[in-house]
Amino acid sequence: MDERKAECRILLVDDDQAITGHLAPFLERAGFAVAVAGDGEAALQRIAELTPDLVVLDVLMPRLDGREALRRLRRAGNWTPVILLTQVGAPVERALALEEGADDYLNKPFEPYELVARIRAVLRRSRAGAPSLAGARRLSSGALELDRQARRVLVAGQEMALTAKAVAVLEYLMLHPDEVLSRERLLDAVWGWDYPAATRAVDTRIAELRRVLHDAAEAPQYIETLIGQGYRFVGRVGAGT
Amino acid sequence: MKRYALTLLPLALGLALAVALQAGLAPNPILYARADAGTLLWLTGLAASLLWAGGLALWTLAARRAAEARTREQAASAEAHRRFVRRLDHELKNPLTAIRAGLANVAALPGDAALASVRAQVDRLARLTGDLRKLAELEAQPLEEEKVDLGELLGELAAAAEERPDAAERRLHLTLPQAPWPLPHVLGDRDLLFLALHNLLDNACKYSRPGDTVEIRAFEDGAWVAVEVADTGPGIAEEDLPHLGEELYRGRAPSGVEGSGLGLALVRAIIARHGGTVTIRSRLGRGTAVTLRFPVAR
Repeated sequence: MDERKAECRILLVDDDQAITGHLAPFLERAGFAVAVAGDGEAALQRIAELTPDLVVLDVLMPRLDGREALRRLRRAGNWTPVILLTQVGAPVERALALEEGADDYLNKPFEPYELVARIRAVLRRSRAGAPSLAGARRLSSGALELDRQARRVLVAGQEMALTAKAVAVLEYLMLHPDEVLSRERLLDAVWGWDYPAATRAVDTRIAELRRVLHDAAEAPQYIETLIGQGYRFVGRVGAGT
Repeated sequence: MKRYALTLLPLALGLALAVALQAGLAPNPILYARADAGTLLWLTGLAASLLWAGGLALWTLAARRAAEARTREQAASAEAHRRFVRRLDHELKNPLTAIRAGLANVAALPGDAALASVRAQVDRLARLTGDLRKLAELEAQPLEEEKVDLGELLGELAAAAEERPDAAERRLHLTLPQAPWPLPHVLGDRDLLFLALHNLLDNACKYSRPGDTVEIRAFEDGAWVAVEVADTGPGIAEEDLPHLGEELYRGRAPSGVEGSGLGLALVRAIIARHGGTVTIRSRLGRGTAVTLRFPVAR
């Protein structure tokens, strides 16, 4: 198990040396081989040289920012998994981060343990040979279809009336199939909030999704509740263009 | 000064014509005029009216210009303030990320109180930056509006409050009108309204003592809905009242209560975005009531 982890090469990209200086040893202790780059241009060069298994990419950097670096990488047809370290909490920015083809994103200041958990989850997905959902325009599962660009949800071709928040929650769930997502994580990812008491907002949107999609909580086709842990998308998710 | 120079134009014109006449442009430069007193009086009246109207127009224009300049100044200072909050948030994030990574590298002995305390303080700072970001975002982002059932929202809020560890020690009452009809729906961002009301209820529970009463009530008032969160807690000193809701302002009375000092600022920002108002009544030693009023969805 440990040997397999040691094979994992991670490129950590951040212009703040205080961050890379502490984070690189931490990731190494977690069993990854870590290389560091200080800006987007250096990152693209290192990705070409090292072909890492995963890139942890900061957004705000001098010369070439993370977002543009990611766009260039994807345009060149490189689908190395990328976790974006976002600084902006705005939901629009999050939607953008996903549309640019990031596999996941994390808000600064994050817990390093959380980063390791995310890295493992993304690697597990890419290892299993699952299709990358990061750059997909549409996500589908059975009769359910989510158009990420138009922010529309269809069931058997019929458009469903959902709030923007509910669509964003469904999108995040579908992008992380088979992963148990805690309410806190959904709240952080979709709302950009860090208020433990506000997790009820997540429950409200899940209830809305279940009501509109006719998904029974006891025998879910899409969203499963894991008591005390969170939610999980149980359907098989496919990518479309 | 330039504007007043123009008022000399008629004089200059008159002088120029007089000089032209003296130079012999006209054959008979003497003019005899006669008018009856009535005509003279109404002409004088007309001249005075014109002067008055002109002066008034100038004065209004000047006042409007000044008001516009003031609004621009206010908008600029609000924008500068937003930029400051955004930058502060941004500049705090990177060091906090580094500190968290550094802490994770320090192999902690189980039960290391010093390190646990440092972690707790970092978490506190992280929460503060989160609140700062929310505050900056609130003023710039569009609301995700929907029809919100306030009664249902308040029910959820009360249920959440019952789950607090200190809930058993407070008497919590929720009063919703049923007659002549239940609360109307309001147009708003459900999650933000929940957050605002939650902050108020959190304050009421945090600052009150065991045995105190906390009441949540709501009523319709014409085109407005009012929601009130009241407590029999220690109250707020009069000199603190005007500063409540300022960022990072914390009153003197309560000590040992944790908070970012941004809770009420967030409430104010959220309610202002909904076109509503926040008012606070409080008496030291008696208690506090915070009232939110916002327009009903039509």
